[in-house]
Amino acid sequence: MRILAVAENTFRESVRDKVLYVLLFFAAVTILGSKALGWISIGQDIKIVKDISLAATSIFGVLIAIFVGTSLIYKEIDKRTLYTIISQPMHRYEFILGKYLGLMALLAVVTGVMAAVSSVYVLLLGGTLEPVYFLAVLLIYWKLMLITAVALLMSSLTSPILGAVIVFSTYVFGHATGVFKDLPPQFDGTLSKRMLEFAYYVIPNLGNFDIRMEAANDVPVNPAFIAFVLFYGLGYTVVLLILAALAFEEKDV
Amino acid sequence: MDAIVTRNLSKVYKGLGKGHHKSLDSLSLTVAANEVFGFLGRNGAGKTTTIKMLCSLLKPTEGDALVFGESTRTRQARRLIGYLPEQPYFYEYLNPKETIAFYGKLQGLTRAERDRQWDKLSELLDLREIATQRIKGFSKGMRQRIGFAVALVGDPPLLILDEPMSGLDPIGRRMIRELILRLRDEKKTLFFSSHVLGDVEQICDRVGILVKGKLVRAGRIDALLGSAVNPVEVICTGLAVADVTRLKEQAELYRAMEELHVFRAATPEIANEMVRQILAAGGKLVEFNPLKETLEDYFMREQTQDGTVRMEGAIQ
Repeated sequence: MRILAVAENTFRESVRDKVLYVLLFFAAVTILGSKALGWISIGQDIKIVKDISLAATSIFGVLIAIFVGTSLIYKEIDKRTLYTIISQPMHRYEFILGKYLGLMALLAVVTGVMAAVSSVYVLLLGGTLEPVYFLAVLLIYWKLMLITAVALLMSSLTSPILGAVIVFSTYVFGHATGVFKDLPPQFDGTLSKRMLEFAYYVIPNLGNFDIRMEAANDVPVNPAFIAFVLFYGLGYTVVLLILAALAFEEKDV
Repeated sequence: MDAIVTRNLSKVYKGLGKGHHKSLDSLSLTVAANEVFGFLGRNGAGKTTTIKMLCSLLKPTEGDALVFGESTRTRQARRLIGYLPEQPYFYEYLNPKETIAFYGKLQGLTRAERDRQWDKLSELLDLREIATQRIKGFSKGMRQRIGFAVALVGDPPLLILDEPMSGLDPIGRRMIRELILRLRDEKKTLFFSSHVLGDVEQICDRVGILVKGKLVRAGRIDALLGSAVNPVEVICTGLAVADVTRLKEQAELYRAMEELHVFRAATPEIANEMVRQILAAGGKLVEFNPLKETLEDYFMREQTQDGTVRMEGAIQ
């Protein structure tokens, strides 16, 4: 009940964040404006609309996760609302988990709204929606789950601005982890290679969550791959949440 | 069982490099159950640090603290504590009723228990009229009332209050003072820091004085004040100028109005000798008043006696 109380409050608090509505506005403009690009590519307009809609859902979802997520704990300390909460008979990890679940509930609503808007738009334009489209939305949400856990960890450790920079870097590098592994031969045996290989194994491969092209082209995806990605995302998220809870457990507030 | 026991409780804030600041230095203190304990000290003396460690917001660098025999690091100890921070902040978009319900949920209370808590606390703190108004826009006094209500959710036996009267107007202060007295009558243990020494003197059974992170005095107020050598005011009339000059060598001439002279002797012995001289010189003794030291006088004396602390802006 304590975790749910914190989650419910976090949801109510985040819903009032003006950043959320600015980002949602731009996401809606991007989704509805995607038809303009469709006109340029003759006969491909539905594919383009689906592709851009999923990209917008992903990018704006990530921006919300970063902007709201990195200030989740920091704001509580800065505004001193944390004092009367942490002094209650609850575990600190319950607070962290509650904050996380509250933001994930918000992101579920945001992702759901964006998916609903894009789906209705595609149908209005005469297109069809295959299950792979909704699987793509699910994987975007799963990616947001992981990014939010990184943001929460950063919020327990550092200021919102530095946290946002680190999470955004994780997001960018997470989409390009292959670069760390496939290095030219001149890197062999160097410290740089060892460090980049370490980064390859530590930074989550966010490319795994991206099945936009398959969704846009109505190409089915192997269910085993989806199961693997869900498990992969969940594993990373759990580890990150444990780290966030440990960081917060030791924190003086 | 004692309500609070601290043993060598210390807190060092580490800065960059080798810099560090010892905010609290080996605090060993006992507060008995059902006692009202005033925790005094100047800004930065370590009062809030101590309170935060008792409420598990800060980790001690050394030592430990127990609440009714439970380590303050445990959930069970926190169940026994109601905490009012200095200038309490709550979620501004909630109203008082929702705020109490939220903290009730954090305590694991059922809906029926939360409703009962609201009925009791809204009555006690006069929150009914503002029950559905958002906290945003509330005055300091109203926020303080909500802070008290939050501290009392779950009916904890120990209340830890950080500057509960700070920044309140006289009516707000009086309300808080009366509330503390009422809670004392309900056999709660109260541990609070305050700068309003007049109120502390009225309310507290015992006080502790912190100077630069160290507990320099702790005890019953009457014992602390009683242990001091109090000055005596001697008021007399009918003295010649030469007699007044002689008496001024023994005591401070506090005031002179026509024939009336008011002296302040440092000790009762000096005052007795002065009375003998006044009568011998043909003067008349009007009043002989032993001056009672206030907690404020005592507090100021402790600060300056420490040797390292001086009054800022004092005339040298």
